[in-house]
Parts: sequence; C-alpha cells; structure tokens
Amino acid sequence: MSKALSKRQSDLHVLWRLIRLFKPYWGWMALGILLSLITIIANVGLLALSGWFISIMAIAGVAGITDINYFTPSASIRGLAIARTAGRYIERVVSHEATFRLLAELRQWFYNKLEPLAPAVLQKYQSGDILSRISADISTLENLYIRILSPISVAIIAVFLYALFLGRYDTKLQLTEVSLLLLAGLVIPVIINRLAKKSGERLNQTSSQLRNSAIDSVQGMGELLIYGAAESQIEKTRSLSNSLIKDQQTQAKLTGFSQGFVGLSANLAMWLILLISIPMVNSGTLEPAHLAMLALLALASFEVVLTLPPAFQLLPQTLSAGRRLFDIVDSKPLIREPQYDSPIPENTDIKFDKVSFHYDTGGNSQNSKVLNKLSLTLKEGEKLAITGPSGIGKSTLVQLLCRFWNVDSGTITFGGHPVETYKSDDLRQYFSVLPQHSFLFNNTIKNNLLLANPQATDQQLNEVCEVAQIDDFIASQPDGYDTWVGEAGLQLSGGQARRIALARTLLKNAPVLILDEPGEGLDANTERALLNAVFEYKKENSILLITHKKAGLDLVDSTIRLK
Amino acid sequence: MQTLTIPEFLKTQKKYSAKYLYLSIGLGLCSGFLIIVQAWLLATVVNTVMFENATLSNVKQYLLMLLLLFILRAALVWASEISAFKAAALVKQHLREKLQKHLFRLGPVAVGEHHSAEVANTLVEGIEALENYYARYLPTMALVSLIPLSILIFIFPIDWISGLVLLLTAPLIPFFMILIGKGTERLNKQQWQKLSRMSAHFLDMIQGITTLKLFNASKREARAIGIISDDYRKATMKVLRIAFLSSLALEFLATISIAIVAVLIGFRLYYGEMDFYYGFFALLLAPEFYLPLRNMGTHYHARLEAIGAAENIMAILDQDAPKTSSTLADIGESNNIDIRLNHISFHYKNRATALDDFSCQIPARQRTALVGYSGAGKSTVANILLGFISPEAGEIRINDKIINSLNSEVWRKNIAWVSQRPHIFYGSLRDNICLGMTTKSDKELHKAAQQAHIHDTIMALPQGYDTLIGDRGAGLSGGQVQRIALARAFLKNAPIVILDEATANLDEESERLIQQSIDSLAENRTLLIIAHRLSTIEQADNILIIDQGKLVESGSHQTLLVKQGIYSSMIETLVKNEEILRNE
Repeated sequence: MSKALSKRQSDLHVLWRLIRLFKPYWGWMALGILLSLITIIANVGLLALSGWFISIMAIAGVAGITDINYFTPSASIRGLAIARTAGRYIERVVSHEATFRLLAELRQWFYNKLEPLAPAVLQKYQSGDILSRISADISTLENLYIRILSPISVAIIAVFLYALFLGRYDTKLQLTEVSLLLLAGLVIPVIINRLAKKSGERLNQTSSQLRNSAIDSVQGMGELLIYGAAESQIEKTRSLSNSLIKDQQTQAKLTGFSQGFVGLSANLAMWLILLISIPMVNSGTLEPAHLAMLALLALASFEVVLTLPPAFQLLPQTLSAGRRLFDIVDSKPLIREPQYDSPIPENTDIKFDKVSFHYDTGGNSQNSKVLNKLSLTLKEGEKLAITGPSGIGKSTLVQLLCRFWNVDSGTITFGGHPVETYKSDDLRQYFSVLPQHSFLFNNTIKNNLLLANPQATDQQLNEVCEVAQIDDFIASQPDGYDTWVGEAGLQLSGGQARRIALARTLLKNAPVLILDEPGEGLDANTERALLNAVFEYKKENSILLITHKKAGLDLVDSTIRLK
Repeated sequence: MQTLTIPEFLKTQKKYSAKYLYLSIGLGLCSGFLIIVQAWLLATVVNTVMFENATLSNVKQYLLMLLLLFILRAALVWASEISAFKAAALVKQHLREKLQKHLFRLGPVAVGEHHSAEVANTLVEGIEALENYYARYLPTMALVSLIPLSILIFIFPIDWISGLVLLLTAPLIPFFMILIGKGTERLNKQQWQKLSRMSAHFLDMIQGITTLKLFNASKREARAIGIISDDYRKATMKVLRIAFLSSLALEFLATISIAIVAVLIGFRLYYGEMDFYYGFFALLLAPEFYLPLRNMGTHYHARLEAIGAAENIMAILDQDAPKTSSTLADIGESNNIDIRLNHISFHYKNRATALDDFSCQIPARQRTALVGYSGAGKSTVANILLGFISPEAGEIRINDKIINSLNSEVWRKNIAWVSQRPHIFYGSLRDNICLGMTTKSDKELHKAAQQAHIHDTIMALPQGYDTLIGDRGAGLSGGQVQRIALARAFLKNAPIVILDEATANLDEESERLIQQSIDSLAENRTLLIIAHRLSTIEQADNILIIDQGKLVESGSHQTLLVKQGIYSSMIETLVKNEEILRNE
C-alpha cells in the first residue's frame, strides 16, 4: 500500500516537473485551452441550436404561426459554425507551435545537461539509448500538453458549463448528464490508465532497444556477418518488434474499448434524457421544441470527454519518457566545477604528485587500480615521452589531466594550481589533445578541422594538414577540403582519419600538446616522418608524447616508462 | 520491384494485412448502416412525442431498440479498432523484418552509404509512421464512398432537396484534399529528411561528445543542436499548418453544407411543405454523411506521412545487394581452400576505380601478404573475399570452381576476419568474443582468449568475462580491442583467415606474443594478411603487391627483392625506418 502510494507520488512529481518545463509557454497554453473551449462550446451550441431551430419552425408551420423570428437563430448558427472551424484551426496552430518550440528548446537543454556527464557517467549508457532520449522521448512529450493537459482542462470547464445549463431545466437531467460525463471522462480514463500503465511504460524502452539493435546492425555489420551473428541479430529485431507491437496491441485494445464506451455513454445520455424529458413534454413542463435540442446537446456534449481516455492512456508513456529524461538530467557529473573564477596559471608546468587512480567498476578496487602514486613533471617547453605496455594506464593520465575523472589521491597541478581549482573548460583550453580514440564527425574534412578553431584561415588549415601529411590526400580529392568523411570518418582509411585528427589537434593553438598513440593506424614510415614534422612545428610548446612504440623517443628531452 | 512508385509500394504491402483490413472495413460499414437505423428510430421517437403527444409507453419499443443499437455500435467500434490495428501491425512486422534482413544482405559496404542513426530511424519511426496509413487511411478510403452513398439512398426518396445539397457539396471535399495534398507530399518528405538528419547529428554528437569537450566546442554544439532542432520544428509545422488548414476547409465546407440543409428543412417545415419526421431524420443524417469525408481529410495526412517515411524505407529496400551465390554449398568444411581472382574490377559508388583488372592467387594453407600504399585497393580485395561486395567484372575461382560472388552465409562459415577497426558491441566481454558462436564452451572461449593474449587481462577484472564494456569499446585500449578481435578469430577456428594489421596497436611484448599466435593461426590455414610490418611481410609464403587497383608484383620475399621493382623500394624504406627505430 505504502509502496503504491510512493509510486503514485513519484508519478505526480514527474508530471509536475514536466509541467514546470513548459513554464515559458504557460501563456500560450492558457490561450490554447481557451480557444479549444470556445471550439467545443460552439460545436455543442451549433447542434443544439439546429435541433431547436427546426423544431420551432416545424411547430410554427403546423400551428400556422407567421410572426416567428428566424433571423437570430440562423445567424447564430452561421456564427457558431465559423467560431467552431476557425477556433479549431487557431487553437491547433497555437498549441502545436508552442509545443514544438518547447521541444526544440528541450533538446538543447538536454544536451547542456548531458555534456558534463561525458565520458565518465555516460559510459554506462549505450549511445543509441541516449539518442532515443534526446530524439524520441522528447518527441513523446508532445503529448503532454496537446493530448493530455489541454483536453483535461477543457473538459473540466466544459462539464461544469453543461451542468449549469442543464440545471436551468431540471435537476434530474443535470445529474444524469453529469454522472455519465464523469463515468466516460473520469472513471473509464482512470481504469484505462491503470491497464495501460505497464505496456505504455515499456513502449519507450522497447523502441530504444530496437534503435540500439539497428545501430549495432549497421555499425558492427561486418563482424556480425562473419561471426555468424546476423541471424540472431535479425531474430533480436524481430522479437523486439514483436514485443513493441504486442504492447501497442494492448494499447489499441484499450483505445478501442474506451472509444466504444464513450460513444455508448453519449448515446446513453441522450437516451436517458429522452426518457426523462418525454414525460415532461407530456405534462407540459418542457416545451416540445426543447426535446430535440436537449437530445442533440447530450449527444454533442460528449465530444469533450472523447479525448480523455486517450489522454489518461498516454500518460504512462509520456511520464516514462519524462522519467527517462530526468534520469540523465539528474545524474551527478563526476566532476564538480568550482564556483569561483579559474586561477591564472603562472606557467604551463604540469605536475603529477603521487597520483593514484582506479576506474570505478563496482567491484574490487584493488584489481582495477590503474595508477599507483605516480609522480611526474612536464615543465614549460619541455618534451616528455611516456611509454609502457598497452593497458598500463598511459591514456588515463590524459583523462585525469583533462578532468574527465577525479584522482583517488595525490594532486595534479597545472601552472602551480591544482587542476580542480580550474573550471574544466578553462583548463582544457591550455591543452591540444590527440586522444587515443580520435573521433571524426559525419561532416566535411574542413568542418572537422574547424572544430578546433572556428576562426582558422584557409592558410592555417593548409599549414596543419601539411604537418600532418594529409595535404596531398586532400588535394587529390575532387572536393578537397569539402570531402565528406562519412559516419565516424569511415569513408577514410584508418591512417587518413588519424592524420586528419592530428591536423585538428595541431590547429588548436594551446601551449601544451598531448599526443596519445599518434601512430595508431599508421605505418612506421609515416609515423616517424609525422612526429618529426610535428615536433618541428610545435617546437616552442610543451609536448607530452604517449606511445608504446619507439618512434619519436629520440625527439623528446626525457622518457618515463610506466610498469 | 525497383520500378514501384511510393504509393504503389504502399499499396502492394496491403496484402500482408489482408483479412484484418477487410474485416475493419466490413465492421465500419455495419456501423454506418446502424447509424441510419439509429437516426430513423430517434426521429420517430422525437416526432411522435412532439406531434402525436405520445407518452413513454407509446415509444417504449423504439427506445429499447435504440438501447440495443447503442451497445451493438460500441462493440463494432471496439472490434474495428482492434482489427485496424491488427492490419497495420502485420504490415509493420513484415516490413521491419524484411528491412532488417535486407540490411544484412546488403552487407557493410552498401549499408555504409547510410548513417546508422538514419537506418535506425527508418527501422523504428519510419515503420511506425505507416501504422495510420493501414489502420486509418485505407479503411477510411474504402468507406468514403460507401457510407455517404448508402445515406443518400435513404435521403433521396424522402427529401430530394437535402439529398441534392449533399450530393453537390460532397465532391468538393476530395477535390480540395487532392489540391492541398499535392504540395504537402514534398513537405512531408522534407520533414522526414530533417528528422533523419537530426537523428544522425545527435548520434554523431553523442559518440563524439568527448572530442567536443576536448576542443571546448560544447557551446557551439549546443547552438548547432538548437538550430537543427528548430529546423525540424519548422519542417514539422509547415506540414501541420497545411494539415490544419485542410481540415479547416473540410470542416467549414461540411458545417456550411449542414447549415444549408438545416435552413432549407427549417423553411419547408415552416411553410408546411415537409413533415418534421423526415426533416429531423435528414438533419440527423447530414453530419454522418460528411463524417467519412472529413475522416478522409484527417487521415489523408496519414497517407502523406506514410509516403514520407516509405521513401526512406524504399531507399534501403531498392538498393541492390551484392550478388548472392548458390553454387557454394559443396565447399564443405575443407581446410584446403584455394582462391583465385581473375581480372576483377570494382569501383565504389561515386568514386574512382578501386580494382582494375586485378588478378591473384591465394593458395590453400599458405600465408599470403597483401602489400600496397594507402588507397591502393587492399581493403577492396578483402571486401570481395568477405563477400561484402561482388566484382563488376572478372571471375572468382574457389578450388577451381567459378563463383560469381561470395556473398553467402555458406562461404562466410569458412572465414575469420580481423578488421582494420574492429567493432566492439555494448555488452559483456564474453558476448563480444562469442558473437554468433554461442555453442562454444567456456573452455574454448578461454583458450581463444589465451591465444590472443587477452585472457589474463580479462581474468584480472573483477567481473571477468562478464565485465560490461561500453559502446564502441569505451574503456578499452586500442591494443585490447585488437586482441578481442583476434580472440574472435581464434574462437571461430575457420580455414581461411583475413587479417588487417593496420591497427596492430600493440606494445613490443604483446606484439611478439601475437606474432606467435598468428603463426599458430596460420598453420594449416589459408591466411591473407594486409601487411604493414616488415617481419610479417618477410615471413609470408607469398606476397602480393597492389598499386592503383592492379596487381603489380607477386612472389616470395627473395624473388621480389631480386626484381628491383616497386617491392624492393618499398622494403628499402621500411628497413631503413625499422633500423633507425632499433638503434634508438
């Protein structure tokens, strides 16, 4: 019981947080609700008035009355028809415009929250899963206002107005109408909500898994085909697709049921109202002309609750999308940024003092200890190499220096100040880093380079490409610098991609150059020539060279070997 | 099937939904008839009460019939909703599976033309976008003429004037729809493209987020995300505005027509030219007459959306897969596979020739090294042997049998492959090494990992083989990734091994150990190494020099050196460099 209660509260909590996200558009939302209300009322009025109009005309015809005013009702019918159609159009444009503006802003907001989490916290998520959150889950929030909040608000007001109107006739009519409206608009939706909860919450999760499976299929297709996993990958997609469809079917059954039931309630309301008002007509307490009007009014008034079961049905899926967003947004970044301004470094010295570190894998930390009381110094302008076997923690040094992780103990200082006292963006501007796994974006060579320095001139681009010895390749391409590198740079060979990444690193004009396995993907010839050129080009700077090979070791002032 | 237009394609998929689609239409039709009966009953009740002073007991039987009708209609709505869903579900299931299978038939080279996020978008959202076409649009289209026609049949005999109004205004609705639909088809396609592009951009951003941080480009990226999201919003709103405008036009038309009917009825009643009973009946039916037409307006959007999505689906399905071969079945599990490529030519889409009249032999149970400069065509040769592409000209002979393509599962059973950039999947280390080889025992797995010199590293981890690794090998060093890829090859124990040592990103000790492993891997197997290191090249039984897509020299190390050709000059620089390195 208490568990169910706390779960409910957390649903409400998520809902409230989502509503708060809409805050900049609360004004638009209120306008949308008002317009929607006008539309709904106009529609009910239109039908009721038509019923009444032909009734009085018929009665007048039968009774031979000639002084009847048919101008006011027929003008009203026209007015209501216009109000209804125009109101609906404006309402839709307003509410969709507001919602989609908000969604675009939410994507930016989500990215801003995501960025501090990389790479340490994001590592435990699959990239397709994050993709699902920023694209599909945010799109799902479209429902929140348009299909959930707005219909519910409109219905509450409209039901109240109907009750007021019918109260003028008879309490029995009023009670019948209101109780059926509540049945269709509240009882059924709440039941539907309960029944739709599990499958609805699973929908986002399953489509996210489906997306991951598709991304895996494309990015790892070669391996899957060669190692006989294609069949099982197809099977995986099939079973995910099936479970997605199964949950959708549960939802469709509920939709079908609620649509049928609301229709039935509307008809029942009309039926009961006939049942109540026919004796009233017989006894003369109700004008005959009002009979058709009341019947049609009862029927039309259910339009407002027709959207409520779907609203409540969509709620679990929408809340689960919200939860998936908050899950990321609420994650604490590993790195705490200082609140005050970054210090001004006295020089560009880097100093590791008895630094220990292990990656938190949730297991025994002893086993995964990467660095143990490591000390080293890179003075301004010095060239230092760090060597050692693969997996010994050489790359970890860079990760710690760039503040992607925190040290367990010991201190790292830059320019005489501990790295923790710098804002990490400020700190990183002093380093040009070629990481071990360099990443090229699905864009042109030029735009990939400009990432390091958007203001770089063409001449600067040529310069770094020459140093990275990729200039000949670029010149040989029909599109030159505008050559598209493909997803993750896969349209290029490993060596070409590596050299473009190196050129990009060189383009960033920072005092300290850090090269982590610059020879990856290159043959010994190229690597050697490349390092010579780089050391010549950046001879004024401090250089930290991390390598397991021997190339370049003759170019540095000293070498530290990690064991 | 390449010649199908998008609407034709969508229509041909109808067959997979067969009976449910017709069931849904049938149920909708029944519901339509019941509405006519309902209107008749209601008009009778109201009329007799108003003009014949009937009491409840006089109209009791009608009221009871109404009640029965209401329940029946609710059941019909429910059933038709479910069958419409089923119809769409069958098509979605079928197409998603077909798409996924086709991707694997295309292979990595052809699929590489698409961004993985775009493919994912097509496979997930693209297929979902078809739902409303089959569940809503098609049933509505079937009913759009049937229900209004049946209503007209009832209205004309009792009130020909109302019937005429309905008959004359109805065709305006589809006319407007088609008029408006013309422009939106293009807009819908644009919207899909924007969505695909947005997904691709986001995945790229997510996978490269560390790089963005290193270059302090996060603020710029946030702006880029703002722009691309806003672009998508604009494209979406363009489509929606037209959809809203078209439903405005439809509703207005329908409402005005109903008002005309009502006014005409009203005046005829007033002048006593008409019975209230008929007037009320016609008035009740008028909205029902326009309802299917208005639905068509609403669901016409579903059609356009489906067209936008189907364009992406067809872009993949229409792509030609490398030829498949059926003549491979009898190669068996032999370790004696001798490969010959004769006069092979190939070029990638929109690029210069990759292989040009290339011929070579890769003899059984020998070690063959493929050597050449970057871009010479080495990977293309590997791609042909892996069956990822099929040659445009020339022939492949496997054990002297001509085979037009190696794109076949039977052939791939014989191959192990270590690629230039091995892909690491999100999941456990065990799953990453085993991939499809799920029948292998732990013992075999450990042995393979030992041979690849990764076993001890794995065992040192707290969770051992169950350790989860991140996307694309996050948390692994380059050397570890390489050794996991090697472990896969050892585990597969296939007669042919294709190995790209370009990223042999290893320290000396591991390199020596791996060299031993490769030596043992080479025993009794046909081995093709895309070689970069002198030692690998020297040890090969057979060296193929490839330059600009042609085989320029071949033979053993010794014979090639004597030739004083391109090989000896290549070796010269390699030797020089490695000497310098050794002396350091």
